Amino acid sequence: MKRVLHVLATQIEFRMLLVVIVVMVSLSLSSPYFFTASNLYNVMDQSVVTGMVALGQTLVILIGGIDLSVGALAGVTGIVLGLACHAAGLFGGIAACLGVGALAGLINGVIVTYGGVAAFVVTLGMMAIGRSMAYVLSGANSISDLPPGLSDISTGTVAGLPVDFACLLAAYALCWLFLTYAKGGRTLYAIGSNVEAARVAGLSIALWSVLAYVVSGVMSGVAAIFLASRILSIDPIGGSGLELDAIAAVVIGGASLFGGRGSIIGTLLGGFIMVFIRNGLNLLNVSPYWQGSAIGAIIVAAVLVERLLSGGRRGG
Amino acid sequence: MHFVGARDAIRSGVAMVMQETSLAPDLSVLENIMLPRLGMRGALRWGRMRAQARTLLAEFGEGTGLTPDTQVRDLSIAQRQLVEIAKALALDSRILIFDEPTAALSPHESERLFDIIRGLAARDRGVVFVSHRLEEIFSVTDRVTVLREGHVVAAGVPTTSLTQPELVRLMVGREVSDIYARQGAANTAGSEDVVLRVRGLASPPRVHDVSFEVRRGEIVALAGLVGAGRSETLETIFGLRRPTAGTIELHGRPFRAHTPREAIRAGIGFVPEDRRGQGIVPDFTVRENLMLAHLGEHVGPGLGYDVRDASVRRLLDLLELPQQRLLDASMLNFSGGMQQKVILARWLLLEPRLLLLDEPTRGVDIGTRSSIYALLRRVAAGGIACVVVSSDFEEVIGIADRIVVLSDGVSVADIPGRLLDIERLAMFAAPRSSAERTHTVLEALAAAHGGTTYWIDIDGPRLFCFDRVNGARAAEPGFVGGGFPEIEETRIPRALSATAEGLVAEADGRLHSLLVPVHGRRGHRLGLVGMTFAEVPSGFDAETVRRRVMSELGVQSEVV
Repeated sequence: MKRVLHVLATQIEFRMLLVVIVVMVSLSLSSPYFFTASNLYNVMDQSVVTGMVALGQTLVILIGGIDLSVGALAGVTGIVLGLACHAAGLFGGIAACLGVGALAGLINGVIVTYGGVAAFVVTLGMMAIGRSMAYVLSGANSISDLPPGLSDISTGTVAGLPVDFACLLAAYALCWLFLTYAKGGRTLYAIGSNVEAARVAGLSIALWSVLAYVVSGVMSGVAAIFLASRILSIDPIGGSGLELDAIAAVVIGGASLFGGRGSIIGTLLGGFIMVFIRNGLNLLNVSPYWQGSAIGAIIVAAVLVERLLSGGRRGG
Repeated sequence: MHFVGARDAIRSGVAMVMQETSLAPDLSVLENIMLPRLGMRGALRWGRMRAQARTLLAEFGEGTGLTPDTQVRDLSIAQRQLVEIAKALALDSRILIFDEPTAALSPHESERLFDIIRGLAARDRGVVFVSHRLEEIFSVTDRVTVLREGHVVAAGVPTTSLTQPELVRLMVGREVSDIYARQGAANTAGSEDVVLRVRGLASPPRVHDVSFEVRRGEIVALAGLVGAGRSETLETIFGLRRPTAGTIELHGRPFRAHTPREAIRAGIGFVPEDRRGQGIVPDFTVRENLMLAHLGEHVGPGLGYDVRDASVRRLLDLLELPQQRLLDASMLNFSGGMQQKVILARWLLLEPRLLLLDEPTRGVDIGTRSSIYALLRRVAAGGIACVVVSSDFEEVIGIADRIVVLSDGVSVADIPGRLLDIERLAMFAAPRSSAERTHTVLEALAAAHGGTTYWIDIDGPRLFCFDRVNGARAAEPGFVGGGFPEIEETRIPRALSATAEGLVAEADGRLHSLLVPVHGRRGHRLGLVGMTFAEVPSGFDAETVRRRVMSELGVQSEVV
């Protein structure tokens, strides 16, 4: 018992898991529809897009940065996907989409790391540019008649799970391995926790800082692909507000906005909590106008509780 | 009393001079001095405040170069310290706390400060003076309270009732003769194997011309005042700063680290000055903190921690750190000494061939301090070349085989540690700006009379030369600036061992020398100003020169 309490007190992932279970149980008690297969599939679907973006966002927040451009980048990479699919087929489209995401992330990372401009400012600029390019490239029209193969990733299943959800879990597993067992992963934590100490110890600060933004850009492209696969249509407004959902998932998952603290599993669970609550509010027929207030209150409360539990060392 | 914030303390009449200056670099000297006024009620009267600031700055005497409108960013560290002091004085508080105020000041500036402190006491102000420098405590305080590891071990003891050894015993809790663990002359020889050779290294704004070398198994200290460019020299060698001139040789081959990683892979370790800011990763476990430099050195995508496990265990025993603390989630609740041991272990783990240490005992309790000294000796004995930067002259003399003195970014002397005492080290370390007055006098004398002029000090059979100027018809006295030969080895042994006030001729009758003792304001010795001629100029009057030196550098002067 003592050991269990200790694990609960020290490991944020376990606290998060507890919260997820509590939320699931209370939702299934208050709505008969929650624990049905179709609703659970629906929930899984909804968690994919935010989850993919939140993964990249976690890496950026771990080094003490922030990426506000992810939503707009999902928009522009989606348009690139659509245009390139028409020109070069499905795989050409995916390659172009991810390439543009990587390039935008690279620009973010290089300006933040080498130019010394605050991440907030650089990615705010990229956010405006990304959204504007989405409109410019698409002529403000949505793109439809995408290759039907694209929808396979959201309709197919693997081992009983939707393909897109399985992809999400795989991406998080890979990221967890990287953050726990790879030099680059530990370097990200060290940069966020004390960049000067990391520098003196000879870690490659610039390389990994830039790569965090590149991954965040690529994951925006990945999100765009899953977004497009559901309805086989792409709109230049796609991905709006995604950056806030992603940051919320990371923060609810226990990461510190000052960097150095956080976990990828926490982010995954943080994303689940948000999706569950949204889904629950829908099932309970709460007005969509009220949902924003509920989610907002939950974000602040989650971080406040986490701060109190962790001894108030550093706030998120 | 219990103050709820700095403003509350200031209102109650308590002001504090911080050890590390808390000035706003973008504001002017005037604005900084008057900063606490912003937290008070009432309008700001700049005209009156400017006049007050001028008066305060004048108290430091001429030659500080401080005006109310200079931007603090452009000031030297010593000047900033003076501004910090003026800021506390401006509050006209009833109680002033000085926390190690002399760490950046030359001996002359320190003396000036002590005069001010005595003036404050005479005006019924209470002064709390925090210091670990014994001479200062005995020269400026009336009563002493000794703190050891957060406990008061002696409260309000009259200074005059104490002797230096007694005070040290109170501070340390035992006899200190063994704290530096010096074992005879075992280490002083070093080997012939030069690990690091630095020639004419420059890295503005602090490092201008630094040269020294370190042999295998040797501990070399870079001594000097705060701001003399010691840390920056280490950082340049380690690849944290770019050199603009000079060469660095490692094991006889030219070496230039562009990044710390290159330095680490070349076998260099670096224990930085600011443990919290540059050493500890607060969100890492103790084990991972230990492994941080390993991670920097490690090639490949993984962590490779397991490879080091055996060496970690061995190191922990050596450092007397308990094994189970390795798993602690953070090292922030360790004592300063423990933290420093972990940072040291971080580098020893890599088995470096050259270890650079910047203030390795700052904020470390005296018990751990002596174990760090012992460890350094073992490390050096194991063949690692060590460069230690320290502001604590006593520590420098205690620990180093050789002392390289830095002053305003220039290496001015390279002397075996056993030959120096604290006062002479302080004279070498005086900033060039403070020594300028002496230099000007030496130049004027050389220009007026020809020959060679110099500023030296004599300690038993040895002399230390701080500065030397050649005039027309220069004569070679047998020593140069930064030199420390035995008197018998010089060309003017007779003059140096005589106590005569006039010209002294050497045995062979060729060189004639005049030596004039210089004393500080409170009568303590500041060495000798001398001149040597191959041929005494016609009409040379020793007494006139003696008076001139006395009047320009002697008791009436404020800054040497």
